[in-house]
Amino acid sequence: MASKFGLAGGIPERRVRPIWDAIDSRQFKTALKHCATVLTKFPNSPYALALKALVLERMGKSEEALAICLNSKELLYKNDALLMDDLTLSTLQIVFQRLDHLDLATSCYEHACGKFPNNMELMMGLFNCYVREYSFVKQQQTSIKMYKLAGEERFLLWAVCSIQLQDPFIIDALVWVAQNLWSGNPRYYLLMVVAAQQSNLVAAALHNVLVSHLEYPCLLFSTCMERLFCLIVFCGNGGEKLLLLAEGLIKKHVASHSLHEPEALIVYLSILEQQAKYSDALEILSGKLGSLLMIDVDKLRIQGRLLARSGDYTTGANIYQKILEQCPDDWECFLHYIGCLLEDDSSWSNEANSDPIHPPKFVECKVSHLADELFDSRISTASAFMQKLQEDTNNDFIRCPHLAMVEIERRKHLRGKGSDDDIVEGLMQYFSKFGHLGCFSADVEMFLQVLTPHKKSEFMQKLMETCNSFTEVPTKALGQSITIFKLQELVGKVHNLSVVELERSAMQMVESFCKALPLSRDLDPQESMHGEELLSLACNLLVQLFWRTRHFGYFVEVIMLLEFGLMIRRYVWQYKILLVHLYSHLGATSLAFEWYKSLDVKNILMETAANHILPQMLVSPLWADLNNLLRDYLRFMDDHFRESADLTFLAYRHRNYSKVIEFVQFKERLQRSNQYLLAKVEAPILQLKQNADNLEEEEVVSSALQEAYFSVWSITTRYIFFQGILESMSCGIHFVELSNEIGSKTLTFNEDLNTRPWWTPTSEKNYLLGPFEGISYCPQEKLRKEREESVRRVVEKRSLLPRMIYLSIQSGSASLKENVEYNGSVSVPKISSELKFFLERYANVLGSSFSDAIEVIMGVYNGSKSSEAFGSDEINWINFAVFLNAWNLISHELSQSDGQQCGRGVWHVVDTLLNKYILEKTKSMESITHSPRSITALVQLITEPLAWHGLVIQSCVRSSIPSGKKKKKGGSADHSTSLLLDAVRNSTEALCSVVEEVAKWLKEQIGRVEDENIESILSSIRKEGQDEGPGKVFQVIERVTSSINEAEFGDRISQGLKSWNAVDVARKIVNGDSSALSEFLQICELKLKSFKALKQQLAQV
Amino acid sequence: MTTIRRFCCNDLLRFAPVNFDHLTETFNMSFYMTYLARWPDYFHVAEAPGSKIMGYIMGKVEGQGESWHGHVTAVTVATEYRRQQLAKKLMNLLEDISDKIDKAYFVDLFVRASNTPAIKMYEKLGYVIYRRVLRYYSGEEDGLDMRKALSRDVEKKSIIPLKRPVTPDELEYD
Repeated sequence: MASKFGLAGGIPERRVRPIWDAIDSRQFKTALKHCATVLTKFPNSPYALALKALVLERMGKSEEALAICLNSKELLYKNDALLMDDLTLSTLQIVFQRLDHLDLATSCYEHACGKFPNNMELMMGLFNCYVREYSFVKQQQTSIKMYKLAGEERFLLWAVCSIQLQDPFIIDALVWVAQNLWSGNPRYYLLMVVAAQQSNLVAAALHNVLVSHLEYPCLLFSTCMERLFCLIVFCGNGGEKLLLLAEGLIKKHVASHSLHEPEALIVYLSILEQQAKYSDALEILSGKLGSLLMIDVDKLRIQGRLLARSGDYTTGANIYQKILEQCPDDWECFLHYIGCLLEDDSSWSNEANSDPIHPPKFVECKVSHLADELFDSRISTASAFMQKLQEDTNNDFIRCPHLAMVEIERRKHLRGKGSDDDIVEGLMQYFSKFGHLGCFSADVEMFLQVLTPHKKSEFMQKLMETCNSFTEVPTKALGQSITIFKLQELVGKVHNLSVVELERSAMQMVESFCKALPLSRDLDPQESMHGEELLSLACNLLVQLFWRTRHFGYFVEVIMLLEFGLMIRRYVWQYKILLVHLYSHLGATSLAFEWYKSLDVKNILMETAANHILPQMLVSPLWADLNNLLRDYLRFMDDHFRESADLTFLAYRHRNYSKVIEFVQFKERLQRSNQYLLAKVEAPILQLKQNADNLEEEEVVSSALQEAYFSVWSITTRYIFFQGILESMSCGIHFVELSNEIGSKTLTFNEDLNTRPWWTPTSEKNYLLGPFEGISYCPQEKLRKEREESVRRVVEKRSLLPRMIYLSIQSGSASLKENVEYNGSVSVPKISSELKFFLERYANVLGSSFSDAIEVIMGVYNGSKSSEAFGSDEINWINFAVFLNAWNLISHELSQSDGQQCGRGVWHVVDTLLNKYILEKTKSMESITHSPRSITALVQLITEPLAWHGLVIQSCVRSSIPSGKKKKKGGSADHSTSLLLDAVRNSTEALCSVVEEVAKWLKEQIGRVEDENIESILSSIRKEGQDEGPGKVFQVIERVTSSINEAEFGDRISQGLKSWNAVDVARKIVNGDSSALSEFLQICELKLKSFKALKQQLAQV
Repeated sequence: MTTIRRFCCNDLLRFAPVNFDHLTETFNMSFYMTYLARWPDYFHVAEAPGSKIMGYIMGKVEGQGESWHGHVTAVTVATEYRRQQLAKKLMNLLEDISDKIDKAYFVDLFVRASNTPAIKMYEKLGYVIYRRVLRYYSGEEDGLDMRKALSRDVEKKSIIPLKRPVTPDELEYD
């Protein structure tokens, strides 16, 4: 190719080099100059143009870059004499990709490959394009061509991977259609194409069916869906045929060339396994090819699985026995081993169904169907083997053969043989050996579930009686006592304890913690200390006490305790997470956020751990922090989606085929993440909230984007600030699409819920908000379904907002249009009908019909319905009222029906509702120094419905006032206009006064004397002379810190203890509270300023 | 109770309790995925009953000629599974792969000069301090390059300590 002759894209390399150098050192202006020089010499060189486009794109000039790229592409196509070199193409590819035009890059490569059909380099580039586009069928076709040309093993495997990738999408599409077949919701049918496009195989066929639906609307939707279903079922069978094809291809290759890569063999085996051809796979594995797998155990594992799945349990058991001899601590292998012995296939058949992110905690197994005698003999085989392993591996760290004995007892128990006592005995023995380990309770959790409550207590009793006799080593004894505390929590004993017992237990834990401090005196500060878990355990009890008694002191005490722990060692993330949730519940979100930040949650951890803070932040006034949180998270996810395909190609190139499939599936999983979808909706809503006071009047030419979407509506008056933001989000259209799609999406939940505290197992649940009830176990599966439904509803609802806000503003400005010089062609009926459509949908999401929703609103307004009628959805109901009023400004439907003019009635409804709810909330608010309290509802009322209503007012005011160059028409406004202006005036007045009330309350709170607040917090835990009540644990801390024995604790710990000061923590709480309130006050003050300005403007109209 | 298997993408969604540890870095996605795409045999995870992640190791193999070596990029264990020699198990696995499959000469790793517990542990596993890398960690803290010779390096040439410290730009590999 060209570069071989010292030419790059047809240009001598010495001329191009300076451009690349400048790009690499980010000297884009210099690069552009070099480009210009090269282009004077080679004006029609596609490569030079591509380089210029690359530079322009880096400089942020996307449109120019795209134009030049297209020019380069055109020249490339036109000029047959020019060489099609990979350098030009790959440069174009980079720019097109960055401009989100993967399709154009692909077509360049397609064109090039058409011209030079046997060029491997170009084909490789084309294959890469298809990888980026996730076009599996085309990947398959291209790699097959490459394989035919070069005969290389890797290209064959590329094709096979592409085939394997087609399968899940076909199944996904099938599931999707099956769901919709029953719900028959026509709203979703376009989505089908999206799902199907992933599998180009069926796309064309689907397209035909859909077109027929559009052309023949009389054809029932369900009929269409049935046809689709049949088609995909057909293609699903096609999937099997494809696997057969893949198998055939490999087989043929093996016959002529054999295989040389271990990964190739693994793919081959998986193709056979997917078709249930176990014996073929086993034969290959034990043949010559098997030697490709160099790690013996890896080979044995595959062999064992294949044998078990083929039903050859006896040989399978032997294989697993061999693995256990080499890896005696492999618990999963033991489960497979006993599965084979008892001929129970649960551990293999469940693999496909279980969620890989949240695997079940418990070992699934069936009651053995073996005859009694056979069962007994198999069990004793297992026992004897485990016994032998125990003897052979006399090691303090190998737990598997010991825990296996308990599992064997459990299997016997399941079968009706053996007794609870045997399991308890097994557990006791396991405790005597490993009871001191931090993971003991996690190891035995599944066995405790088998025991009856009575047996559980018996076991606990036995443990406590014998505990001290097990060891003399202090760290071990400490470990054992922690284990017992943890087990008590696990068996649910804690819920049955009285307040006094709970208090005593918490004190014991904290005392043990303090007593154990000297054990850690010589540890490095980076190492976790002995007994750290004790404080988390005590925290659980204190929160339990707070839940039961509602004594605020317990809540303060638990915060003190954890802050104390972090003073001694600041790295304990478990304490930090607990504090994040405690401060959130207290209402001190800024402190919660501080601790969250100290966890350094970044990259993929944001997907699994942002749930600790994101939901609270979404309803807090800490907008700057929330903005960063959302921005970082969305940037991380979007970056991944952008780069994932290139990494997939990297896996292809390095012949790690299993990773190819993994990467594609992983990206798809993240794209369906519930948190991602929520964040995508909330980020723009936050922007709208932040700018809602800035509906600045300015005439601007409608943007190209706007035109594309709304060529029919061109209202002359445009607003830069707020409107600009709305326009940048296509006036909310994209979000409406998301709202339409969400119902058919299978969402993924990637949050790590195990790290959440017991009182809030998911972000939607917080037990502390409700009355005390003994909770035990919350099944994950049920949770997932509930959560999926609730997230769908939230996304559906929230993603309608930007569009409804946009339409409401249009409505507001159109309502007074006749007042100003106006020559636009606004289609008022269109705005009206669209807004009504969304109001109906919004009402539906709130579980009501449009007319019923109006009735509810009116009922609450005139007092015939209580404020509870809105349930927990009050923000959304009031939002509804706000948009209803906006719609009525141009539709006048409500005014006509109730005889009022210009919708003044609905204005009053909105004002009253806002006033009522905001003042109610303000009055019921307590001080954070007495109990947890939440300002979130108040913040939401002010920053959402009130803000949206403010926007409607602003748009009315703007259009009633002559703008800059325009002069107001002579003559006074007619009667209806003046009535409307009256309503606007009243509403502005009402909003002003209600926000003033809130601001007043906030100022009062912020202005309270700091020392009094601190004293009030401390007094909740310093109630001396009482037998019962908060403060006991706090006293333990105070005792330890008041007499520090430095020799015993060592420097570091002594230092930590010395720096402890409860007053500091109380001050931190008070200041943290103030800082959030100040943020909120600032929001209110900006609103007030804006309303006051409006009042002035209105006075002039 | 350790089932050691290859690390896969889904494990990234499950390793939070391990990575909350302040000394464990959470890299960006392309970093993890590049390791998975290029050296899947050097990226392993240990699981406990109930499929809980106990810890993991990630590494690679690189270099030319006699400096062809395995490299430990990260090894970490969750708090509740510490003091059970799990890191040793994971290190041994990586050494085994470097030694037997890739026939490397040695395995090396970098550690913060202040991380005494880790240095002690690596020394117990047979690693020696080969050289000091000045201001290796964010231009602030020195790093120690520790090495362990494998069977192919019969004379153990690869681990003879350098006399003077080096700067990060003198390093052969990133």
